[in-house]
This record gives sequence, structure tokens and C-alpha cells, in this order.
Amino acid sequence: MLVAAAVAGWLSTTAAQQPDRTGGVKQLLSEINAPGIDRGLRDANRPRPAPTKSSRWMTGAGGTTYLRDSLIVRFRPGTLPTAQRAMLAQVDATPGPTLTYADFDIVALGGGADPEDAARRLRAQPDVEYAQARYRARPMFVPNDPLYPRQWNYPQIDMERAWDISRGGATSVTVAVVDTGIAFRSATIRYTGIAWRREDGVAFPALGPVDIPFAAAPDLGTDRFVAPRDFIWDDNLPLDLAGHGTHVAGTIGQLTNNGSGVAGMAFNVKLMPVKVADDEWDFIFDSPFVGTDDTVARGIRYAADNGANVINLSLGRDSRDGGGPAPVVRSAIEYAVSHGAFVAVAGGNEGLDGNPAERYAEFATQIDGMVAVGATGPDRRRAVYSNIGSHIELVAPGGDFSQGGGTGGILQQTIDLDLTETFAGPVSRYTAPRFDVFAYFYFEGSSMSTAHVSGLAALLASQGLKDPAAIEAILKQSATDLGTPGRDNEYGYGLINGRAALRGMGVAR
Amino acid sequence: MTHLRRSLRCAALVCGTLALLSPSAAAQTRTPPPRPAPEPAVRVRAVIEAGARTFTASQSFEAVLGSHAGVIFGAGAEALVGRNLFVSFGVSRFQKDGERVVVANGQAFPIGIDTTISIVPIEVSAGWRFTSPRRTVIPYLGAGVGWHRYKETSEFATADEDVQFTKTGFQLLGGAEWRASRWLGVAGEAGWMSVPNAFPGGATSAAAAFDEDDLGGAVFRVKVVIGR
Repeated sequence: MLVAAAVAGWLSTTAAQQPDRTGGVKQLLSEINAPGIDRGLRDANRPRPAPTKSSRWMTGAGGTTYLRDSLIVRFRPGTLPTAQRAMLAQVDATPGPTLTYADFDIVALGGGADPEDAARRLRAQPDVEYAQARYRARPMFVPNDPLYPRQWNYPQIDMERAWDISRGGATSVTVAVVDTGIAFRSATIRYTGIAWRREDGVAFPALGPVDIPFAAAPDLGTDRFVAPRDFIWDDNLPLDLAGHGTHVAGTIGQLTNNGSGVAGMAFNVKLMPVKVADDEWDFIFDSPFVGTDDTVARGIRYAADNGANVINLSLGRDSRDGGGPAPVVRSAIEYAVSHGAFVAVAGGNEGLDGNPAERYAEFATQIDGMVAVGATGPDRRRAVYSNIGSHIELVAPGGDFSQGGGTGGILQQTIDLDLTETFAGPVSRYTAPRFDVFAYFYFEGSSMSTAHVSGLAALLASQGLKDPAAIEAILKQSATDLGTPGRDNEYGYGLINGRAALRGMGVAR
Repeated sequence: MTHLRRSLRCAALVCGTLALLSPSAAAQTRTPPPRPAPEPAVRVRAVIEAGARTFTASQSFEAVLGSHAGVIFGAGAEALVGRNLFVSFGVSRFQKDGERVVVANGQAFPIGIDTTISIVPIEVSAGWRFTSPRRTVIPYLGAGVGWHRYKETSEFATADEDVQFTKTGFQLLGGAEWRASRWLGVAGEAGWMSVPNAFPGGATSAAAAFDEDDLGGAVFRVKVVIGR
């Protein structure tokens, strides 16, 4: 599982490699619980650097930005050129070149005159229909979510202008998050915590029966989840006990422009939580099943059979453990693609760790409609951990703390890990977790980059593009080439570009 | 008496008329017939045209416009130099609405973004008219150069995303003109244009996806020619 490896303090266990067990009991005590608690941004952050300011721009008294040294003017029909020049001369302006597609003129200002002031003086002339400074136009849609300015990842792939074309996608499109589950609903569930031993040898006592509160992640909403399925606990409550799936789901479809938290890519689409990967608390609560190739394969097939247009697979395993290829997963992905689901799979996080073969991603190039995704950091370079290889087809923002420090990751809301990772410290601090408290965390990993591709694929599907191979084609064709010109093993075909992908193709461009 | 005088006068008038019409009488009173005014060395004629054109980049236009053909309208002028040589100047316009697409594996998928393509060729051609006194239909052949202004606009596009360029090409044409009257003719014409390297390679475009870069194609016109 490609859980964001660098989440601070994340403890790696081998839970995902445990054999199936007879399993503990998961008892739903209550369908309701208090709403989730949002504890805000968790990590210390530095503010985003101010955008580069060009000397071409100046700021007016009202705080507006406009070009210096020129302005827009339209003379009334019939005004003689000599009269026009005379009026312009009064404000130290001269005619500019003739414009196409314009019934107005751009005139050059001399002497450092303020365009707003010059425009005001021109407007006083009877032969001037209007005159104005050349105010800066900005993309129409910049989400108002307060933490959006910390999401460097969306401007990197031109999402603001992409949202001008497709503002969050359509509710008729479903993205399956085949992962650790999603914090998608409220509940109180009774588990039984078993005694267990950590990898470092520390023994933890049995917690016995514990009532665990769950809540829907506040910034994901509650009425957009379809066909939830848990293959770890074999029920329809794929609740996230790890925080990974909720974070991934946030990048795909976090509620956006709601004045709260952060933004997501396709914030109108439906989300299908499919739990196929277990984590520490699943292990401690003695889940009957664990996340293995067959579980993943079943989850993929389930998603395809239940109408997923896009399947996000921020999962994988690598060849370091000696494991061979995963034909069962390949077959499931082929099945999903043949049923109309586009599949994005993580390219791997072991670029610094021997760059082993990534078992789920390695056959992506052989399936039209499936892409393997590498990761970039805030400066658009390949993230240091992102795998290199012929299987990498695209890259997307995955975060890189080595490039961007503490804020170099991908920011999303997920369960408050401070209240769930009680197993990571000393035994004296070991308590039952709660999954109804949320915070905003920076994660890094190809899991995060994969979610960007899935989100963009969902927006394409919302435009009526349902063919998986066609989605893959436009994602590649519209990608911004990085690294060695053309396709290469670091960046594949390049960095996804939301605007270019959603615009598709005309005859000439 | 009066009746007799009137009858004689009529008979004299009829005889005189017959004498004038008879060859022998003509021979006796020969005067040069009025000759038609000589044709000017250069005759200028106005042309109005309508027709259809197809595109060499057929797959690209088919993908975006749903068809690789469309209607054109135009106008121009034509100068006849002497009896056979002609030089023509014409401007026509093609415009059609379509939808932007994604192309994968040779198949086009529309994505719901409206687009409009307009093409305005300005063509200058010269050629030869195969005139004959016995023919009322005059075949002709010609060739020339054209400047093709291409414009593609679409929904949501910013100015830098819309496309506008002018490319130079050449054309061959042939047709036949039928003179309906001294001042009016009708011509049918077929032509073939080539505008190579019109679409830049490497761009995300249907033309690139289908590996088509020629803006030319075949054109079929009906022309109304006003002038001698």
C-alpha cells in the first residue's frame, strides 16, 4: 500500500501482509454520532510565497491592478483622426497599433502618467465614448476555501482555468476510491482490541470491547457517497481507520468553494468508498480479511460492477519482498476498463529505495484506459521518492517535503492522526482511537498524485468522455512535457494539465 | 382619281422596298454594313459564386465539424485579356459550427465544447479560355495562388487559445462558362487547393492526432458572371 510514506510519525507495520484471520467482531451500535470535529490545519506552515510581480503592472488607489503606460479608449464614430490625436496629446498619449477584433484603441501613455487618471481626463472629452485603464483579468474561479492558498498543487496543473470549463464535474459521475475506506458517515461501532506486539518488540495489551465514534469528514459532505463496500470487514461500512483513503478522496472531490477548509478537483462527483486495504487499527481490531492482491482485485471488480466511471488505486506493492507480478489485479483492471472505468494507479514511492518494480503499476502501459502516475513536488520536479521506469505514463502533484519543506505536501482533510495513532508512542499513551475528529494534513506520495489524475478523469467523464482509452489519450496528449523532451521514464508524457485536458482538441489546436 | 393615285403610290413603295431587299439591288447600291464595335483588349467582369468544398484533412474536420465538407459563398472579379487569357480574383468564405473532441485510437469523442471554424481564401488565378465562335460554352483551365485565413474559436477560450492564421497555398481549377446573354454568363467550376503545413505539428489538435496538415481540398462552384 502506498500510504504516504512521509506522514510524520507514521508507523509501518506488516499488517497488510498478515494472513487472513478468523477475525474480530465489528458491531454497529449506532448509525448516528455527533458531527465530525474539524480541528483545522495541523502542521506548522509558512505562507505561500507571493506571486511574482511584474513591473508592467501597477496598483491603483482602489487596490486594482492594471497595466502601466497604456489605456483603452473608444472615440465616438465620426471623430476625425486629427481630433483623436489632439485629445490624446492632452494626456500625453499617442495612438497604438490597430487591433483586430476590437472596436476600440489601445493608446500608449508617455511620461509615466497614471492610466486611471489619464482615462478619467479622456472621458471628460465629448468625443470619447469611453476610456479605461487596462485592468488585469483573472481566472473566473478561485475557490474561496480558506486553506486553498496553501494548495500549490492546483495552480501547478492549471486547475483554476480548468474549473472555468468544468466547475467540479457532474453528479452523474462516480469515482471509486479503492483504498483504506473513507470517513463517509457517522456511526458508533464496537470493536474488540486484541493484544499485539509492535515491530520494535513493544507489547500492547488487549483493549477489549471498545466503542469507537466515527463521523463523516466535514469537508467531504455526506450525501455524495454511493455503493460503499468493505472487503476487509466484509460489510457495507468501509470506514477509514488509517486516514489515507479520506485524504485521497479529498483531493479527488473535497467540497470546494464552500468557505471551509480546502478544495478538491471534482467536487460535484459521487464517491464510492471501497475498502480493500487494512491498517494498524484493522489489525488491532482483528479484521477478518487483510489487503492482499485478491482483495484489491475484488474491490476493483466491485467498483466496475457498481458503475464507477473512474477507479482510483492509490495502492500497490513492490518487488522488494520477492513477490511476483499480480495477474489477479491485472485481470481485474482489464475487467474494469472493459466495463468503462478509467483506472489511475500509483507509480510507486520507492525511487530512493532501489526503485523496484511496482507490481500494480507495471502493466499500465499495456492497458489502454489505465495509467501509472508518478509524483511532482512544488517546484514541478519529480518528487525524490517517485519511482522511475518505463511504466510511468504521467506525473501529477504528489508533494515533496524535500522540495517544499513542511508545506511541500498535498494538503487535505483527514482523520486527526494525533488521536488515532496512539499505537505509535509508548504503551502508557495507548488508548482507543476516535475517528470523528479531523484536521488538515500535508501528505506526500504517488497516492496523492494518483488522486489528481482521478479527479481530472472525473471531470473529463463529466464532459461526456466515458471511454477509458480516450481519457488516457487526452491526459497524455495534453500533458506538459517535463524532463527530457518527449516521453521519459521520470515524467512519462509529462505533468497533467487540467485546462488543456478539459479543452480537448480543435482541428488546429 | 384620288383612289388611283393612292394605289400607285403604294405600288411604288412596295417595289422600292423589294428592290432594296433583292441581291441585285444590293449590288447596285452596296454600302459597308455597320461593323460591331471592336472588343476591348481587357474586359472586366464581376463574379458571384456559391458552392461546396471538401477538406484534404478530412478526418480532422469530420471529427470536429461532423463533416469534411461544407458550403461556400464568395465574390470576385475576372479580367479577360484578349480572347483567351483570364486573370481572376476571388474571396470566398466557409464557416461551420462543431464541437471540440478527444481523439483516441483514430476515433473522435466530442466533449461538449462548441467551436466555430471559418476559412476565408483569397485566390488569384490565371488561365486559358478555349473560345470558339461556334461555341456558346467556353471551357477554361487555370492555376493560381491563395491566401487562406483560418480562424477557430471555441467556448471558454481565451484569446491565446483561439486560433487564427493565414497560410499560403496554390490551386488548380477548371470549368466551363455558358453565355446566357451578352452581359450574363454562368459557369461551373471544379478546383483543387493545397495549403501545406497549415497545422503545426506536435500541438494537441485533431490535425496532429490524425497526422493531417493540409488546409486545402476540392472545391466545386457555380459562378454567375456579370459582364461581357
